[in-house]
Amino acid sequence: MKLLYSIYKEYKVLIRDKAGLAILFLMPVVLILVMTLIQDSTFKSVNESSVPVLVVDNDQDSLSLKLKRYLQQSHFFKLTDTVLSYQDAKQEIVKGHYLIGIIIPTHTSKQLKEQSSEKISKLLSSFSGDTTLNPTVTTSKSIPLQLLFDPITKQSFKTTITNSIERIISQIELEAMMSALHKNMLDIYPDAKPAPISNQSIISIKEEYAARNNHSIIPNSVQHNVPAWTLFAMFFICIPLASNIIKERNDGSAFRLMTMPNSYFIVMLGKVTTYLIVSLIQFFLILSIGVYILPLLGIPALNIGNELPLLILVALSAGIAAVGFGLLVGTVATTHDQASLFGAIMVIIFAAIGGVWVPTFVMPHFMKLISVFSPMNWGLESFYAVFVRNSTLQDIYVELIKLWVFCAITMVSAFLYQSYKKNQ
Amino acid sequence: MSALVEIQHVTKTYKNALKPSIDNLSFQINTGTIFGLLGPNGAGKTTLISMLCGLFPPNSGQITINGFTHQTNSKACKQIIGVVPQEIALYPTLTAWENLIFLGNMYGLNRSVLIERIKTYLHIFGLEENAHQKISTFSGGMKRRVNLIAGILHQPQLLILDEPTVGVDIQSKNAIITQLKTLNKENGTTILYTSHHLDEAEDFCSHIAIIDEGKLITQGHTQDLIKTHQCQNIEDVYLKITGNKFRD
Repeated sequence: MKLLYSIYKEYKVLIRDKAGLAILFLMPVVLILVMTLIQDSTFKSVNESSVPVLVVDNDQDSLSLKLKRYLQQSHFFKLTDTVLSYQDAKQEIVKGHYLIGIIIPTHTSKQLKEQSSEKISKLLSSFSGDTTLNPTVTTSKSIPLQLLFDPITKQSFKTTITNSIERIISQIELEAMMSALHKNMLDIYPDAKPAPISNQSIISIKEEYAARNNHSIIPNSVQHNVPAWTLFAMFFICIPLASNIIKERNDGSAFRLMTMPNSYFIVMLGKVTTYLIVSLIQFFLILSIGVYILPLLGIPALNIGNELPLLILVALSAGIAAVGFGLLVGTVATTHDQASLFGAIMVIIFAAIGGVWVPTFVMPHFMKLISVFSPMNWGLESFYAVFVRNSTLQDIYVELIKLWVFCAITMVSAFLYQSYKKNQ
Repeated sequence: MSALVEIQHVTKTYKNALKPSIDNLSFQINTGTIFGLLGPNGAGKTTLISMLCGLFPPNSGQITINGFTHQTNSKACKQIIGVVPQEIALYPTLTAWENLIFLGNMYGLNRSVLIERIKTYLHIFGLEENAHQKISTFSGGMKRRVNLIAGILHQPQLLILDEPTVGVDIQSKNAIITQLKTLNKENGTTILYTSHHLDEAEDFCSHIAIIDEGKLITQGHTQDLIKTHQCQNIEDVYLKITGNKFRD
């Protein structure tokens, strides 16, 4: 009964603290919307059909048409087809209007056809014993296809783009060779009725995400941002919670409560319970934004899969760790300024090394090693596991135990510090 | 009269302090008395009250409250005590009613008894109409009166008052002192009172102890102390034995 009244008191105090409510609920809502919008566009620039490519088509023949068709079919490039001089095309890249420029020289198609035909003719002649035409000797030069890159393009991305274009060109070359072979064979066997050449690849690559139950949820910015900013908001609880404890201590309420039988412990338990409920409300609020609001802004909806109870358990574990941290900050700090500054800095450090801002998989090796010391990283890894890999409790229990141990350490430390101060 | 509080050879020295805050202090507070604990700043009053409330133990000596000590039965000791701190120890964003309901519940009072008592005290202290207003909107006197109600809701045997009338107007001060006297007379509540208002202490307290630098300087019936020290009032006694030196 005492605990219920204590929770009710905390609820009343919290509901009338407009600034505290803004920190607890408004800040994470703004963060999730802003950060997801920003990061989603960043993801799109490298993952989806938005790499801006300028194609200067001086060929206007079968090769250039095929090349452009294949580039568009790859869903990786956004083509702008034009005819410009080399210098003008270069200027367009310099101005940052395009990331890549492809300059296809005049008569490329014609040269490709001629060279393919020549190679095939030489090859077939060598079978008939004609040694005057050596297939390994090329009489013509290779056709220069100019690629221009914006200097800001990272090497890894440049390599990816170059490989993609090379693959497309190889395919066009192969098709040209096969076509030449087809034509030459018809010259040798004019009565033959050959079957059309299939363009289908002999070896195909099958991609699948390593997730349980054969569910393949493609990770996107939403699946990073929703859990990341949920955790950030949860740990920011430490500031209003610490302020609440300091206020109670400074205005003498804590003194009065400590003179009552068992009351101080009950009041602290009331705070823990109330702020734990707040953290769960934050979780559901941000989850709802991920599912219902973000799609309205043109961002993919959050797929929460079929593991809502497990997600709640992760949120509860992260929440209790955050509340434990807040309790420790509130106990050790003597002023609101100390608590706000120390609490905010610690949360930012936890977030930075934990992968909230920059996912750990793109961090340098050394930072990856450090990230395992952040409670936000334990929570984030657990959320990733459930959202993306459809993991079970068995897969994430170690991370959850870490969060509970963190909570136990912070709470015991707060209690020991309180006892130490009492006996000073 | 039997002793409700016995303080026996109590010493308390804070860590890194050069001298003890309470130095081998011994006296007793009898049941039913209004006991004034007086002394200059830094005399050790707050330290003694904190130990009486069980916030920390003495380095040596013993404090017994109705036969219990905080070390052996803290819960029983705390149930006997009611505290009215010098600060307004209330939640400013809660109403007077919400504050009293919460604090009464923390003492484990039955809901119907608690509601009846809150109504009675709010009526006595003229706060009935303000019951559902936030404490932050109250005047200093109103806050002091609610602060006092919070300390007497569970009808403690020993009421500890740390400067209960500081910063209040004459009307509020009068209401507080009158109600405390009634509480003492009708319920037999023992009161331990500290203040720097020596005229108020002389009028209010049946017994007075003056401490300085953690030591007991004098104690006894209020009027006996005035006679013994051949003074006009308690203020003269106080100045005579503690001197005129600044203590801050």
